[in-house]
Amino acid sequence: MATNMNHRIRRHSLKGLHFFGLFSAMMVLCVPGLWIVLNSFRPTVEIMAKPPVWIPNELNLDHYRAMFGGIGEGGVPVLTYFTNSLIISVTSTVIAILIGMAGGYAFARYKFKFKGGVFVALMVTRAVPGVALSLPLFIIFARVGIIDTHLGMVMAYVALNVPFTIWLIDGFFRQVPPELAEAAEIDGCTRWQAFWRVEFPVARSGIASAGIFAFLTSWNEYALASQLTRSTTSKTMPVGLLDFTSEFTLNWGGMCALAVLMIIPALILTFLVQKHLIAGLTFGGVKG
Amino acid sequence: MKRLKLPPWLVLLLPAIIILSAVVLIPLVFSLYSSFTSYRLTRPDSIFNWVGLFNYEKAVTDVKFWAAFGRTVLLLAVALNLEMLLGLGLALMVSKVTSGQRLLRTMMMFPMMFSPILVGFQFKFIFNDNVGLVNNALQSLGITDQAIPWLVDGNLAMFSIIFAEVWTATSVFGILILAGLYAIPRDPLEAAKVDGCTSLQSFRYVTLPFLMPFIYIAMAIRSLDVARAYDIVQIMTNGGPARRTELLWTLIGRTGYVDARMGYANAMGYISIFLAIFFTVYFFKKLTQSRRELGMGA
Amino acid sequence: MRTFLKGASSAILATAAAVTAVVSVSSIGQAAEFDGVTIEAKLIGGQQYEALYARIPEWEAATGAKVNIISKKNHFELDKEFKSDIAAGTTDWCVGSNHSSFASQYSALYTDLGDLVSKDTVAEFVQANIKAATFDGKLVMLPRAQFDVSALYYQKDLYEDAEKAAAFEDKYGYPLAVPETWAQVKDQAIFFADPPNFYGTQYAGKDEAIVGRYYEMVVAEGGKLFNDDFSPAFNSEEGKRALQWFVDLYDAGAVPAGTTNYLWDDLGNGFASGTIGLNLDWPGWAGFFNDPSASKVAGNVGVAPAPKGSAGVRTGWSGFHGFSVTEDCENKEAAASLVEFLTNEDSQKLESAAGPLPSRTAVWDYVSEQAKGDPYRSEVLAAFKETAATAFAVPPTPLWIETTNIIYPELQAAILGDKTVDEALADAQESVDELMQEEGVY
Repeated sequence: MATNMNHRIRRHSLKGLHFFGLFSAMMVLCVPGLWIVLNSFRPTVEIMAKPPVWIPNELNLDHYRAMFGGIGEGGVPVLTYFTNSLIISVTSTVIAILIGMAGGYAFARYKFKFKGGVFVALMVTRAVPGVALSLPLFIIFARVGIIDTHLGMVMAYVALNVPFTIWLIDGFFRQVPPELAEAAEIDGCTRWQAFWRVEFPVARSGIASAGIFAFLTSWNEYALASQLTRSTTSKTMPVGLLDFTSEFTLNWGGMCALAVLMIIPALILTFLVQKHLIAGLTFGGVKG
Repeated sequence: MKRLKLPPWLVLLLPAIIILSAVVLIPLVFSLYSSFTSYRLTRPDSIFNWVGLFNYEKAVTDVKFWAAFGRTVLLLAVALNLEMLLGLGLALMVSKVTSGQRLLRTMMMFPMMFSPILVGFQFKFIFNDNVGLVNNALQSLGITDQAIPWLVDGNLAMFSIIFAEVWTATSVFGILILAGLYAIPRDPLEAAKVDGCTSLQSFRYVTLPFLMPFIYIAMAIRSLDVARAYDIVQIMTNGGPARRTELLWTLIGRTGYVDARMGYANAMGYISIFLAIFFTVYFFKKLTQSRRELGMGA
Repeated sequence: MRTFLKGASSAILATAAAVTAVVSVSSIGQAAEFDGVTIEAKLIGGQQYEALYARIPEWEAATGAKVNIISKKNHFELDKEFKSDIAAGTTDWCVGSNHSSFASQYSALYTDLGDLVSKDTVAEFVQANIKAATFDGKLVMLPRAQFDVSALYYQKDLYEDAEKAAAFEDKYGYPLAVPETWAQVKDQAIFFADPPNFYGTQYAGKDEAIVGRYYEMVVAEGGKLFNDDFSPAFNSEEGKRALQWFVDLYDAGAVPAGTTNYLWDDLGNGFASGTIGLNLDWPGWAGFFNDPSASKVAGNVGVAPAPKGSAGVRTGWSGFHGFSVTEDCENKEAAASLVEFLTNEDSQKLESAAGPLPSRTAVWDYVSEQAKGDPYRSEVLAAFKETAATAFAVPPTPLWIETTNIIYPELQAAILGDKTVDEALADAQESVDELMQEEGVY
């Protein structure tokens, strides 16, 4: 009886602890972000107030209104930045996935010399810090004439995302027993058809998770973008954030408003595909 | 002679190799060359001024460089381990929840939506000593009546940077480890229970070994990515004050772009690239090893 | 024209109307001077700077040329971009925003405007500014109405409390009044401070900013940063006194503990939050500080000329924005015409109506005249005019920015107590000396 009681108490306290731990962890993860969202609705005088104003006296859309307003009144070409970001991120993600699928397939299905070395070499290209890469890249892009273009940005981001994409997708193709594809080929499919009918569907969630990682990386990247973009023809939203700074001032409220516009699409996308994401990572991880 | 025909694996890898050469390899060759010159951005002719190993000598004999180097290693070691532990805890807690998983998982990934540069600004304001969120909260709650100089004090400044970095990246660990938890087969866990293992024991001997590949993957991914912390640090402290938070990346960024001494910056950059490669290869080795232990090696 | 007026904010409406009228009349004579020419420009972005660009269509209409803004970034990003451009050789665009503190670095990039702009036009600018825009006899930029020098903002009610005044006089032996010397600023800042709720003053604590502040303090103490051959001269009695001022305030807790991590935006927001008593700051903030929707001290802001150091010299580190024409520009005449247009009297009137200080003599008079009915604006202008009279630019060396990057961590080390003042300055001196020799300056 007593042990049973003890057991119950322990279970309850564990449950309480679990709830408390989860709650505080989520608080730490979400509060700094939600603080940005809140700031985007508050007048600057309240954000920077001392003593602090904990319960907002006033919430309004002024920062948003200003952001969409005219030049010289706080206007920032948000829609252009948004479009640029979207075009660049989506295109580079799609291309990175295609290249990653080809590369991953090569690693999963073929044997060749120095396979491990080639693999690590491809991965390591991702380890080069952006700050060390940005100038030489700029000089080369400038010579070729693709500075401040979508093409240049897409190329840079494809290269940024390809290594990780190959890695994840490689893990997936290993999941599919080669016999399956071979059987399909015997049934009269070409290799290409066998790939799309047999191997691709299995790897789909892996591709989805590689995709979301690639998209988020491109969507949020700053170091390279600040170097390779110049004007509204190609500036992305992270670079656009800097429009709220000038030599002496920084409009934090306005910056928050733009930040919210950056976060929302990423959040929606993540919410939609996160089931695939988990499933995708599950297989990709274990089977190398 | 037979017509040259590329093996299929090479054809498949070719796009990846081409794009990586164009965007990473060629620039790296260029910067390798320039690291042997006195290249100054504002004097383009200086690219032809060969100085041999001068820049490297200058870097390796500079105390400031090694201090930044050590600090970078420290940051990497502390941040990566902390992210791993917190990510593990987070994943364990989330996996135990029965309803609302989808929402929880999205919340868990919330910090991943933030651009590093935004994170920098965000924590610069949160940790501001005068009007910042943290100090305001501490003072309002009566925990302190001091203005704690989060971004200035020798230890606190590193702490603040690591906090910001951990805040952004714990999610990545969390989500990868969570994936690992879902993938654990039920049988060994059941068997352990039957054998009378406590939950702690079955975690230690069954769950954890199974999670290791996921942890190393996350480690490897993060060590590839961690230089993105440059954006955060640059905005929050830019290596200051008095070099207390100077990292290799801030040092290189300032030397290269503000001082315009690209040759010297690239020499330091090369040393930092080796650091990144070391971390990546290390975790990669660990990953292969733990996969082999699980009997799932390639 | 109507759409242009609609777009402009009400603050500049009146001026804009006057300006457009003038231009449309004068433009008839020189119609289509540069027909078919396209000028590529890289201009500084940011709210404060962009109202001027709304005038560009007028110049286009008057000359037949087209302006294509190929880059718009903030100041520091633009600096990075110019350096990258020089490195890559992509310098065939025509007009670029420039800044007096950075201009010396781009010596190869920009052409001598002395050949393109008439002497009479140049003579209409404030001559001190023209001098600071001239390197090795080359006039590299024409200043726009963005002249910057710092004056002392303060909270007026600090000086209206009789009890406080008596306590102060008791302690320091002289009456409490708006400070005229930096020694008084120190006394008062320490006296007013009540951390963590209120601080006497604050200062920029990193990057070029703190070195600039230190530089003007050295000058105010009677010393100099560099000798004539650009060997470092700040490790002197004057230099030590100047640094000691920063150290003392920090040790006394009279400045926010985080001040060594502050840049201009933190300082401005700090003063606007009402937690700072005295604040040496730029003219661009004047409107912000007195705007109730942005600042808690609105209505309580006083502005005095920058205080003097022990040598009786005012601090007055100054700089200004301007426009330059590149050496590789295909049509320099057209580019110079655009630069002239953007810095002409009407342009400066338009810009300075929103707050920034002009760099043309006539516009200074005009602005003062306009401010007659507005006591706050008049006070601001008077204080800045007084300070501007003795202002000085940064030392004209292309290594200025790099030097500041060497000096500032040492200044911070002294302020935070990692090093003594003597050690910090000696170390900084040694590193700067090494740099100068390495670069073959002497």
